[in-house]
Amino acid sequence: MSIIENHKTNGAAFCENPKLKARNVGVFYGEKQAIFDVSLDIGANEVIALIGPSGCGKSTFLRCLNRMNDTIDICHVSGEILLDGENIYDTKVDVVPLRARVGMVFQKPNPFPKSIYDNIAYGPRIHGLAHSRVDLDEIVEKSLQRAGLWNEVKDRLHSPGTGLSGGQQQRLCIARTIAVDPEVILMDEPCSALDPIATAKIEELIDELRENYTIAIVTHSMQQAARVSQRTAYFHLGQLIEVNPTDQVFTTPEHTLTEAYITGRFG
Amino acid sequence: MTNTSLSTREKVEKSMVRRRAAEKRFRAYGMASVLFGLLCLVGLFGDIINKGASAFTQTVIRTEILIDADYLGINKKAEDQEIRNADFEGLIKQHFKNIVQPEGRTERRLLYSMISAGAAWQLQEAVLLNPALLGQKVTVNLIADDDVDQWFKHDRGTDSHNNRMNETQVKWLEQWIEQDMLQTQFNTLFFVNGDSREPELAGIRGAITGTFLTLLVTFLLSFPIGVAAAIYLEEFAPRNKITEFVEININNLAAVPSITFGLLGLAIFINIFGVARSTPLVGGLVLTLMTLPTIIISGRAAIKAVPPSIREAAYGLGASKMQVVFHHVLPLALPGMLTGTIIGMAQALGETAPLLMIGMVAFVVDVPGFVNDPSTVLPVQIFLWSDSPERAFMERTSGAIMVLLGFLVTMNTAAVMLRRRLERRW
Amino acid sequence: MEMNFNQHISGQFNADLEAIRNHMMGMGGLVERQVANAIEAICSGDTRVADDVIRREDEVDKMEVTIDHECTQILVRRQPAASDLRMVLAVSRVVRDLERIGDEASKIAIHTLEVADNSSNQLCQQAMRYMGAEVVKMISGALDAFARHDVDGAIDVVRNDKLVDQQYASALRELITYMMEDPRSIGQAINILWILRAIERIGDHARNISEQVIYLVKGTDVRHSSLTEIEEQAHKE
Repeated sequence: MSIIENHKTNGAAFCENPKLKARNVGVFYGEKQAIFDVSLDIGANEVIALIGPSGCGKSTFLRCLNRMNDTIDICHVSGEILLDGENIYDTKVDVVPLRARVGMVFQKPNPFPKSIYDNIAYGPRIHGLAHSRVDLDEIVEKSLQRAGLWNEVKDRLHSPGTGLSGGQQQRLCIARTIAVDPEVILMDEPCSALDPIATAKIEELIDELRENYTIAIVTHSMQQAARVSQRTAYFHLGQLIEVNPTDQVFTTPEHTLTEAYITGRFG
Repeated sequence: MTNTSLSTREKVEKSMVRRRAAEKRFRAYGMASVLFGLLCLVGLFGDIINKGASAFTQTVIRTEILIDADYLGINKKAEDQEIRNADFEGLIKQHFKNIVQPEGRTERRLLYSMISAGAAWQLQEAVLLNPALLGQKVTVNLIADDDVDQWFKHDRGTDSHNNRMNETQVKWLEQWIEQDMLQTQFNTLFFVNGDSREPELAGIRGAITGTFLTLLVTFLLSFPIGVAAAIYLEEFAPRNKITEFVEININNLAAVPSITFGLLGLAIFINIFGVARSTPLVGGLVLTLMTLPTIIISGRAAIKAVPPSIREAAYGLGASKMQVVFHHVLPLALPGMLTGTIIGMAQALGETAPLLMIGMVAFVVDVPGFVNDPSTVLPVQIFLWSDSPERAFMERTSGAIMVLLGFLVTMNTAAVMLRRRLERRW
Repeated sequence: MEMNFNQHISGQFNADLEAIRNHMMGMGGLVERQVANAIEAICSGDTRVADDVIRREDEVDKMEVTIDHECTQILVRRQPAASDLRMVLAVSRVVRDLERIGDEASKIAIHTLEVADNSSNQLCQQAMRYMGAEVVKMISGALDAFARHDVDGAIDVVRNDKLVDQQYASALRELITYMMEDPRSIGQAINILWILRAIERIGDHARNISEQVIYLVKGTDVRHSSLTEIEEQAHKE
């Protein structure tokens, strides 16, 4: 299948009040180009869903937003990504504080093999966010409450985080991300390993988190994208095909490829 | 499709017979090889234990002896040095001459040869410890010569051609047995003495201390260096030709015959750097070289086994590379690294060849006090003894092998337990 | 990867969608015949045809239930999106309109039986015949447009509905004139009025079906919009 030539992103890729602005982003793995000229705004306090068939570059794009791709040697990013107007790929920018500002939740729940408390406290500790034990306790409690996990784990904060159920583990990971008080949360298929009830809880949580954070979520479940996001971006073979309000994408997509994908004609 | 009249089900049933038979056959082969291995092991252990068990007992001559102060020419207020110079050997000879009444010089010499040179030291030590014994009659267990020991433990009542006791001696010995003078006791000397030309006095303490010191040097050098190298190669090294070259060579190094490391140690540590030969220090250095590849390879494998999701989680929270490695990767990889280290150390513990090259094969009587004292190690001690003509050394060889095997088993068990302990599967 | 956007990965999904569409078309054909027969019955006064229409009304009702159930099944099993979702929703709505048309047809048939007793020459024959033919054409036009995803065909139907409405208004004035002239004809006239009203309603339902065609193809909901608005939406890219 050939790359669509002369492509132009359909719909509304830009928005008012953007938190993150991607401009002409290209990603290369060695010689191979994985992302082609993607320009996209992610608005403050919005949930944007990135969808598309496997290997379309949505996860790669997501990982550009907090420079997780830096950990891969051969990965190279062109173009600009601006967080509050500052290019995060600027040589002056230190990636460590950037990742504190743009947190990430992964596909598989990946709590550290430590206690629940230490899992949450790790971020604040390394960034020096707590001045005393009391501060730290407060951060841990607040983060767990925000993640809707406090009531379930408050009596066993010092038992291993890996002893929780899959859904709880994922909420623990979200709590761990919230604990460093990020501005943007990136979620890479956060529910793909969870059952429907755990998924529903996470989706509920995403909805609540929207008040305080900007969220970009990669998902393979179109229903999930439809449920949690305000805007949906459709990626295809490394190109951003369409960005539109979610309800529009799922009833009347503009681009044939989007239509074909969401109606299950390929993917 | 030769037989089309059969249904698929019938064909499957038919093939099942063949498949089940193949499975059974394979299982039988497996059982047979395991059984063969076990038999060999049992045979080996049985032989060693059979030969070596008697090394842990020793024949003594129980007798009441007057510690004659006049004969010795010392009194109760004598200085230690005077006691040391006193002729205890003569006293013992005198004592036995009185008991047995040998006729002529030949018989006298025969009699004296039945008592170990160690007996005099034994008495001397006792007096040094308690000068009040002077002038008293004391009952002591004097160490018998190794030939007596062998006769009493193995040859008595048999007409073994190994018997080195002549008729006169046997007569005396039978007399002593009647008087309940010949006894066996636990061979403490085997564990507290250094090496000796006299089998009944030879012990493994020197070798064990040497081994311990050598392994200490090996561990102190190879563990930090190995772990650091593994972490660097796995986490920090840029992926380029040089790193690749280093990696290949580390893998090659693990396969190099160990004697080569001995040559290297001889050429570099001893000849160029002038480290004293025969010492645990140089032995440890050589064994470090030998152990390093094992530790680095197992360390890298342990680091690789740390799930990438943990790394990602830490990076995602904004941990720096150092923090990721030292807060997350290392604690998870440590059990694996430790296991590799202990296996490497166990290898080093059993190593002989390279140590021969650097002079640790020397006959060392004294127990080494520190890493720069000349010493030997257990496997080399075993090698030395196995070469000695005296028959009593044979059982000591086996005894030492049992001790060595005991250490190996202990270390491996420790490795397993440590792993279980540290491994956090949560 | 073969890029054939007409086919779903799931062949069964294709078949299911095809099935509701075909069943809807079948129901449309039946309803269209019902209407044509009802019109035929009043014009010719043939009570057997009218009886037949009343009897077959049941069939239409059953079809509605069946197709609606099939739509529900697709919604539950496939969670359709975009054009598939619109197809299912449109079919579901069209089926409802078709059922209403069926009701109207049977109403016409019932009134035909009442009118037939009264052997006097029927009022507004011309208008009924003309309007009847028009709405039958509208129904088949709307269904054709649906089958062909033909927006222009759908707009034609909407336009025709306006004509039918105008004819209905003039027929009404004619009836009023009759009733004022001859109060004895009021009973008859009311029956005729009901029939005219039913035909006019059938036109409205045909228009609704056409609006669903526009929803199906363009994704915009044009219900309760004026003709100009509909045209505007239909030709927007």
